[in-house]
Amino acid sequence: MIDINNITNVKKNKASGVFDNTYQVTLSNSEIITVPKNEDNIDYQEILKWVADGNTIQEDD
Amino acid sequence: MSTIEVNKITPVSGGTAIQVGESGDTITVPSGATITNSGTANNFTNYRPNAKPFFINGSMAVAQRGTSFSQPDTNNDAYPVDRFSFQTGSIGVYTSTQEALTSGDAFNAGFKMAARIDCTTAQASPAAGDYFWFQYKSEAQDCLAWKKGTTSATVMTLSFWVKSNKTGTAQVNLRDDDNDRMVCALYTISSGDTWEKKVVTFPMETSYPMNNDNGTGFRFEWPLGGGSTYSSGTAPTAWEARIDADVAANNLAINDSTSNDWAITGIQAEVGTYTSATIPPFQHESFGDNLLRCQRYLEFSSDYGATYTSGVNSCVIMDMTSGSHPLYFPISYNTYKRAAPTMTFYNGNDGATGTWRTNAATDVSISGTSISSQGFTTNSSDLGGDGRSSNGTWKAESEL
Repeated sequence: MIDINNITNVKKNKASGVFDNTYQVTLSNSEIITVPKNEDNIDYQEILKWVADGNTIQEDD
Repeated sequence: MSTIEVNKITPVSGGTAIQVGESGDTITVPSGATITNSGTANNFTNYRPNAKPFFINGSMAVAQRGTSFSQPDTNNDAYPVDRFSFQTGSIGVYTSTQEALTSGDAFNAGFKMAARIDCTTAQASPAAGDYFWFQYKSEAQDCLAWKKGTTSATVMTLSFWVKSNKTGTAQVNLRDDDNDRMVCALYTISSGDTWEKKVVTFPMETSYPMNNDNGTGFRFEWPLGGGSTYSSGTAPTAWEARIDADVAANNLAINDSTSNDWAITGIQAEVGTYTSATIPPFQHESFGDNLLRCQRYLEFSSDYGATYTSGVNSCVIMDMTSGSHPLYFPISYNTYKRAAPTMTFYNGNDGATGTWRTNAATDVSISGTSISSQGFTTNSSDLGGDGRSSNGTWKAESEL
């Protein structure tokens, strides 16, 4: 589980060139996790708070 | 029908048994009547409307994440056993563990594991917003047996074994997250460093029904410390809108000395009012059944107890086609998840996250796609050549 204060970066994941409704989240301890865009997922809820705080989700590079 | 009116029926002189009717007879207890266990009667079948124990892993037997965690002086959660967490918020440094029991009354009651926390750096004067509690969250759809918010709302009895070097009275909270309400009960640790069984009851209100969904329903908290934000109020013994100041009004202040520890096991909840004499026995599950229920919230592809963060090869994907392309491979979980889980992929060589190791000793990025409650599909970068494979471990987590 992640905490809004531990999020370093959030990036959209793509499958076959299309956003696949998952996010790659890098945490302050360098751990990388995949969070689905699902409102029942408590980590996605933290991402929404993180965005509401003025942060931006990156497009996949 | 004739009626016999008496206050007591006893065996004939010298006898010890009474028989009612004959084989094949039907003995009817009228609708609305109650058969009561006076307190210590034997062979009394207890009515349990819930087929499985309400608490998942109440015996503390399952610990998929590991068995020992350092909790630094920041805001963090640790799950030394599945489903139960110690939450420490800048209130000292702790080590939380799954403790193996070898003696004591809890051990003699059939419990071989406990969740335990030891204070290693004290914070005797916590700041206002510091917090410290042991917690369990249940799904709202699993709380229906207590009929909260109906005219038939039923008391909940909570029982648990607890041990601490500190004696005194503390509260345990029952929270309704759907309506942000709470009530508490008090328990007293009478003897230090001694396992004691506590049985407390929570009233159940006939208003504020809970949702029938996979979000948090009943939340249980055992406050162990806290700053004034959480401890300056009064422990509520009747339901109220949650007040921060009431959450830890009665706590044991485990944070005030490095001599302190607190441990718990054998947590059970029952529908109805029971005492320490009448509470039904703990429902021990097989390890396999317990693990499967825990996996609704957390599952690893690696073996139970494997050190996945150090590099474990539990899953392999292979590129059998030519050209450079990503690799998609569908995988199902052991059991249906509470919600689409967060996926973490650990490198099979060193445990790093976000990559798997190929058989050419290179690391390739990997994530999950099409993540659902039933399964997911790997989304791996090209492995660098036809016939190559990559390996590692995945974790799926959908805690509340």
